[in-house]
Amino acid sequence: MRRSLEEIRTIANRAAHMTRADSAEAVVISSISALTRFAGNRIHQNVTETDSQLSIRAVLGTRTGVASTNRLDNEAVARCASAAVDAARHAPKDPDFPGLPKPAPLSIPSRSLSLLSMYDAAGRARAAAEIIQQSDARGLVAAGTVSVNDYAVAIANTHDVDASMQTDELRATVLAMGEGGASGWGSFLGRDAGTFLPAQLGSSAATLAERSAGAGDLEPGTYTVVLAPEAVADILDFLGYLGFGAKAFAEGSSFLVNALGTRVADTCVSIYDDALSPATIGISFDYEGQPRRRTPLIEGGVAIGPVTDSYFAAKLDRPDTGHALPAPNPYGPLPLNIEMQAGDATLDEMIGSVERGVYVTRFHYVNVEDPMKVVLTGMTRDGTFLIENGRLSTPVRNLRFTQSVLSALSDVRAIGSKRQLCGGEGGAALAPALLIGHWAFTGQTG
Amino acid sequence: MKDLIATALEAANAAGATYADARVVETRHERLSVRTGRVDGVESGESLGIGIRAIADGAWGFAATSDLSTNGVTSAAREAVALAQAAATTARRPVALAPVDAYTDTWTGPCVTDPFTVSLDDKLALLLLADDVLRAEAAVRVTSTSMNFLAVRKVFGSTEGSLIEQSYVESQAGLTAFAIGDGEMLPRSYPNNLGGQAVQGGWEAILALDLPGHAPRVAEEATALLSAAPCPARETTLIIDASQVALQIHESIGHPTELDRILGDEAAFAGTSWVGIPDLGTLRYGSEQVTVTSDATIPGSIGSFGYDDEGVPAQRDHLITNGVLTGFQTSRESALAIDRTSNGCMRADGWQRQPLIRMTTVSLEPGEWALDDLIADTDDGFYFETNNSWSIDDRRLNFQFGCEIGWEIKNGTLGRMVKNPNYTGITPEFWGSCDAVCNRDHWQVWGIPNCGKGEPMQVAHVAHGAAPARFRNVRVGVAR
Repeated sequence: MRRSLEEIRTIANRAAHMTRADSAEAVVISSISALTRFAGNRIHQNVTETDSQLSIRAVLGTRTGVASTNRLDNEAVARCASAAVDAARHAPKDPDFPGLPKPAPLSIPSRSLSLLSMYDAAGRARAAAEIIQQSDARGLVAAGTVSVNDYAVAIANTHDVDASMQTDELRATVLAMGEGGASGWGSFLGRDAGTFLPAQLGSSAATLAERSAGAGDLEPGTYTVVLAPEAVADILDFLGYLGFGAKAFAEGSSFLVNALGTRVADTCVSIYDDALSPATIGISFDYEGQPRRRTPLIEGGVAIGPVTDSYFAAKLDRPDTGHALPAPNPYGPLPLNIEMQAGDATLDEMIGSVERGVYVTRFHYVNVEDPMKVVLTGMTRDGTFLIENGRLSTPVRNLRFTQSVLSALSDVRAIGSKRQLCGGEGGAALAPALLIGHWAFTGQTG
Repeated sequence: MKDLIATALEAANAAGATYADARVVETRHERLSVRTGRVDGVESGESLGIGIRAIADGAWGFAATSDLSTNGVTSAAREAVALAQAAATTARRPVALAPVDAYTDTWTGPCVTDPFTVSLDDKLALLLLADDVLRAEAAVRVTSTSMNFLAVRKVFGSTEGSLIEQSYVESQAGLTAFAIGDGEMLPRSYPNNLGGQAVQGGWEAILALDLPGHAPRVAEEATALLSAAPCPARETTLIIDASQVALQIHESIGHPTELDRILGDEAAFAGTSWVGIPDLGTLRYGSEQVTVTSDATIPGSIGSFGYDDEGVPAQRDHLITNGVLTGFQTSRESALAIDRTSNGCMRADGWQRQPLIRMTTVSLEPGEWALDDLIADTDDGFYFETNNSWSIDDRRLNFQFGCEIGWEIKNGTLGRMVKNPNYTGITPEFWGSCDAVCNRDHWQVWGIPNCGKGEPMQVAHVAHGAAPARFRNVRVGVAR
């Protein structure tokens, strides 16, 4: 069993006040994670993990130090507190350190936690079997996961911050594979078990795999593309990481430095970070116990600003948007709940408007070629099709792209009306499909 | 720790396991970072827990907990068995394991000076000094220097009678200067990107890197990159430095020769492989110059150990011999698929995770060339150093790598510097175009402590022995 919310709240408050520092902050996370993994049409990995983590940030003047432990007995907590103070004692002064934040009004949604019992080992096995069945029946091979994460977070500091919340989330993925590299993909992420339909998810991936059989070559070049939501989520993730964190902004390594308040995308493009959206998952405060605010990143194509934590809010003289990650972190504050405003086009309408182009289901192994221009490279995966005369015509082999995200967002021809919550690096993005005028494919596996 | 192992195995047996193993892992870490003159993080931590793996009804289950009370461990063991029984409902065939002897042993990694006994003041002073030197160049607007230390103690026991205790210390340090100007940011690192070099060893390994001594060159090169020409786009001869060869091995040989990927177990996340089981012994993976080993016995490598997390002894094995595929990285279960015994590549990211097939030290064996001679032997081409970006498809064929810095080679000498050099290729074509590998004087084991794989995601510490190597007809300067 994971520890109760009240228990970790007590531990966090006790730990924060245990140090002999000028001030201190404690973060406690207790979780149970259960994951059922299938491949080759059978479950091959079935795991659970139960753990709790305590992290203490101690402050001596403007010096800070952090220590952590997963042992929450009194002796270990005391040792952790002492280690944090020791680290702070040796750290040089940081004149920019504004002190730990004070409490701010929080909105804590009340959530029933039923996913873990609903999707226990038997429940996950049933869901996996339903997904697998869709591929097995069509002579395909399925691989993927069904997982539940149930966790509680408590944050306390000696300035009376006392924030705590518990939540859960359900994730599922499926890759259906056929002969000759044919493959299709589907995923689910959310808290509403009623919208998780395993058979439908498995069927959708299997249909895509069947449709992608017999893929042919497509000459690399610049094409009009329709990106499905998972592909869009991937590039939004990188845009947030490279461009909209206050640390990169303060250091001058974000494109935002030269673009604040100017047009960086088509006027139809609006992108926010919003952990409070009912569509997303996660907790409603950051790892300093500050409220996560709906923060515009790009509004009507205009770059609005970075997300901040208490440190960078003070340094940049901007509001604290509540985007602190657990201290210390090398990235600074980051937007982890990005959402792109929906448009009014259906997927069929977007495809229907393309005379010749490429449809991309998702990307694989995207990485950065140029951080300030947000140039990315990566491969297409699990369902790439040529669009001809307004219809998906033939499947094509996976393509490599090398493309500036900013250029792509300045060439958006249509935005999908339906959005999908997609898991990313440490967060989730609510993404629509996009029709983009020019997208550079720079290679093919052949 | 041994009592906990016994408790776990007894409980798993009692719950119906036909096989079980348990690992108690205790870790301690310390991370120090300095960024642009400011101490960015001083952090230490510890973790302790147990992971229990069980086979019941012919399927696997795994449960992990940090609750090390008798009740906590017993519950986790029972849960591992219950998870196995649930997994069995979709089983196609019962899990079977290649045989391994039962070992009772102790193994310790090399370490002269325990880094946890060195004062924070000394560590930070070294980082701040290096940082100060980096910032002497005005164009270097952002700097990053860091050290990471990890101490691991783990005990493995199995119902087959093994009881193995292992302990080791890892140390890592490095620096990066970022020159920023005119809408571009250009990094230059030493001795490698992403936190530098990582080894099994202690404080002596950090001192041997001499971070402050290398900082002036790094800062100068970062500054020079700002005014360097962009790497032109063409097909040419390419020499890449040892650290970039290490990443090339990692992505295009290490991962595709993992047998779990080949069998499809990683398909949905990490991907599969362009290599198949029938390819063993016949597939031409590269040129005659390409011989690649998997070796978990190299002293000081973060890919080394005494026994893997299935209790299989560390081994040296050939994956590619003179260009022909001759081996895979295996586990006890997957090895049976090719009628072999395990070559000991199963490792887990701590007590929380079920072991997966992970690289040990996968190395391109050294050739005969001195680097100067190799450059002198090259009429026209490029020399690239230090990885900056990496991407490869899900079957590990189509890759694109960016490096931090490059130089043109004209008539056997290094010419003008180029910025943002990148290259792309297809795995067997690329390794097939390798016509020279530098000798053992240039060969070094590079630690890579950030290899991601598996669900839930696991981060493995792996390594690659490499020397600079030359490749013909490579496409460089991919459009940006």
